[in-house]
Order: sequence, then structure tokens, then C-alpha cells
Amino acid sequence: MQLKARQAILRVLAVASFLLVLLGPASARADKDNQQDAPAVTPKDVPTPPIAKEVSTRPEDTSTKHVAFEMSSYTDTDNVTVFTPSMNATIENVTQGASISGHYLVDVVSAASADIVSTASGRWNEVRQAGGLEGTYKPHETGFTLAGAMSSEPDYLSLSLGAQITQDFNEKNTTLLLGYGYGHDTVGYHFTPFSVFSRIVQSSTISVGLTQVMDRSTVGSLALDINIENGDQSKPYRYIPLFSPTEAALVPNGASIAWVTENRLPERPAEQLPLNRERISLTGRIAHRLDGSTLRLEERAYADSWLMVASSSDVRWIFDIGRRFQFWPHARFHAQNAVNFWQRAYVSESATGFVLPEFRTGNRELGPLLTETGGAGIKAFLGKAGNPRSLSIALHCDASYTTYLDDLYITSRSSVLGALILEGEL
Amino acid sequence: MPRSATHTARMGALGLLMLFALSGCTHVAPYDRARLAYPSMTDSYESAMSGHVRAVHEGASGGGSVAESGCGCN
Repeated sequence: MQLKARQAILRVLAVASFLLVLLGPASARADKDNQQDAPAVTPKDVPTPPIAKEVSTRPEDTSTKHVAFEMSSYTDTDNVTVFTPSMNATIENVTQGASISGHYLVDVVSAASADIVSTASGRWNEVRQAGGLEGTYKPHETGFTLAGAMSSEPDYLSLSLGAQITQDFNEKNTTLLLGYGYGHDTVGYHFTPFSVFSRIVQSSTISVGLTQVMDRSTVGSLALDINIENGDQSKPYRYIPLFSPTEAALVPNGASIAWVTENRLPERPAEQLPLNRERISLTGRIAHRLDGSTLRLEERAYADSWLMVASSSDVRWIFDIGRRFQFWPHARFHAQNAVNFWQRAYVSESATGFVLPEFRTGNRELGPLLTETGGAGIKAFLGKAGNPRSLSIALHCDASYTTYLDDLYITSRSSVLGALILEGEL
Repeated sequence: MPRSATHTARMGALGLLMLFALSGCTHVAPYDRARLAYPSMTDSYESAMSGHVRAVHEGASGGGSVAESGCGCN
């Protein structure tokens, strides 16, 4: 039943995205026809021909249609590769303050990471599909946004809905934002219907934001997000090696699969995470326009009820090279501590019976880590001389290096993410 | 490490708040916003996939957007 519902939702999203793409060129053709029909600038002293009067009474379509196609690829030293084609379409009417957009992507994942190999499993392949629709209406100072998104793979279904309201003040020098989002995830098991095995994870997000014009060249914003998640997020495939108290003390950082296999206890329970998590984050962004370039800075401070604290800093400097090219270097630094139940080596008190730690995880993204990212991008505007930005092609490439400070199997990971993006106005 | 991350997060938040406070938030008239309206001030320079990769790589991500589908990274 759930599978059918999921397929139906997927079909609706795919059709909606397809219609958006179809609507774009159709409206664009209508625009073009109108432009061809319409006369050139008519001097006041020249009588307007009847045909021109007829054309001018037609409602003018002031909307712009925008389509983007992206091809992304990710690979890392933990033997994970992901290939993601995606598309995005937007129809926007600036004069009426309305816009609608849709996106659709497919992730093709192939993995043989240390975690998978340690469970004596083979290479694992999976396809994820994700899509979403968003509509905004902001005729004057007050704006409304509604959005919905879904992500589906054989053993995981995620649905979300969100609403935002924005209000401009002070001649649009200040904008306040209030938003709410709801997420409903179904966690399943491979080759098993959701009706046989599934867990529900629900989340609510409240967002409050402030955007402020700081001077003629600078805009800043602050966003506070509070997220509450309820449900069992434990991964059904993730098994945790256990050690005796004596062995646990000897487990080295990055202990190899062979070492762990040789020294762990026979029991190997599944991962178990706490059943709720409350997150809070404060994100600040600043965009500053310089002569011939734009500097964009972002800092995010994060804390949650699992006692993880983190900081993410991001900087991108976009340089204009003439009217037709942009180039930007990009750097990001992320640091986090471990959640409060994190252990490199979990201990089982076998002497007193089968006693397991209440919470246990092998998800190294819940452990202490540092990630440095560096990259660059280039964008070429290929449109006609009057509007070169109407067509563009961009190439992005980011390389990351993560250091795992207290983990089994690996102590670091290098990864590369590349994307080729073609965007155009119709 | 935890102390360092906490310290960095606090300093970052404090720095941003100070920037806001110190800026004085000059009132800019609508006709004087040409630089603010430049496309690179607001355009996205991230690929669609980068947000998802970040959500998987950084355990601290999440709660950053009002409507965003879960990573489903089982």
C-alpha cells in the first residue's frame, strides 16, 4: 500500500516537473510571438496602426522561465561513488510577486565502504529519487511560501512540507522571516515491504530569520533554526562490534577490520540511537559587493540534545571577469565533537551476562571530526549581447579532507565533488 | 576538541552579532541599491548535490531549511 502511494507521489512529482519544463518553452514562444507582433517604438506623432492597438490590449506576460540541468559526481577514498543528474525549473513573475519552482534528481550510489566490508557484505548499489515543488507569492511587503519535497529509495521514504512568511520593513531594508517545516520519514529494510518492517521518524522545524541591509554594498542575515526529531533513526544494517573491558582499552584509533574481527566479542548488536533529538543552529550570512567581485561569508553554530556542538564556516569570493565570466574560490571548515554516547570501542560486560550499552552507534558522522574543503568554480554566460546571463554553463569542483579523531576502521577520508550546470531562460 | 568546537561556535555567533551591532545598519534608499541588486549577491553558487553531501558528511547538519527532504541515507 505504501509502495503504491510512494509510486503515485513520484509520478505526480515527475509529471509536475515535466509540465514545468513544457510550460516554460510554450510561454516563451508566446512571448516571442508577442514581441514579433508588437511594433517597434512608435513616435507620438505617428498614428498607431489598428493591429498594434489590438496587440497592446493583450495582457502582457511579464513572467520569466528558468530551467537548469545539473550533472554531479562524488567519489571518496572510502569507496563510495555517487552520480546525480538533476533538473530544476522556475516560473517567476516579478511584477506580480509570484513564482513557482520544481526540482527532481536521481542519486545512483555505489558503495563498498569500510563499514560495509566489515559486515562481510559485498558492494552495495542503490538509487534514490528526490523531488519538490515550491510556490511563493509576495505582492508587496508580505510574502508567503509553501513547499513540499520527497525523497525515495527502496528502504527509505522521506516526505516534507513547509511554510514561510516574510515581512519587509523600513523600505525593505529589513526583512523578517518565520517558517515551519514538518518531515515524515519511513525507515525500512532492503527487499522488505514497509508493511513488514518500518519505523517512522517525524521532525518539526521552526525557523526565525532577519535580513538587514547594512550599507550600500552589504547585506547580512541571521537565521535561528530549532529542529525536533522523534523516532528511531538507528540504521537497521549497522552492527556494532563489542569488546571486553580489557580489549576496549587497547583498541587503537582507526583499528583495521582484521584487528577488530580478531579481538571483538562474538555478539554484535544493531545500532541503537536515542529516540528523539533536538537541534538548534544559528546561521549568519554576509554578502558584500566590492568593485568587480562579491564576497560571501557564512558561519553556523550548532548544538543538540545529544550534546554535539559544531561550527561550520564557509567563504566564497566571486570574481567577475568581464561581462561573460565569473570565477570563484571556495573554502569551508567544519568541526564537531562527539555525541554523548559515542565510544570508539563499546564494552559488553559479558561476565555478568549479555549486557549492552543502551545507546551505541557506528556512524562516524556522530563522532569527533574535522573537515576542510577547498574548491573553485567557473561560470560562462553564453546569452546574446543584450542579455548574456540568459544562458550559462558552470563547472564546480570541491575537494574535502575529513579527519576522524576517534573511530574504528579509518582515520581520514578524502572526497571530490564535481558538478556541471547548464542554466537558461526560456 | 569539544572545547575547541564550542569555543569556535560561540566566537562565530558572537562575531556575527557584533558585526550586526557595529554596522549601524545604514538606511539605504531604494534608488541606491544597485550594488545590492547585483546577481552574485543572491545567486546560488552551490550544486544541488552539495547540500546532500554535506548533510551526510556533517552530523551537525539539519534544521537549516524549512522544507527540505530528508537525506534517506540508510
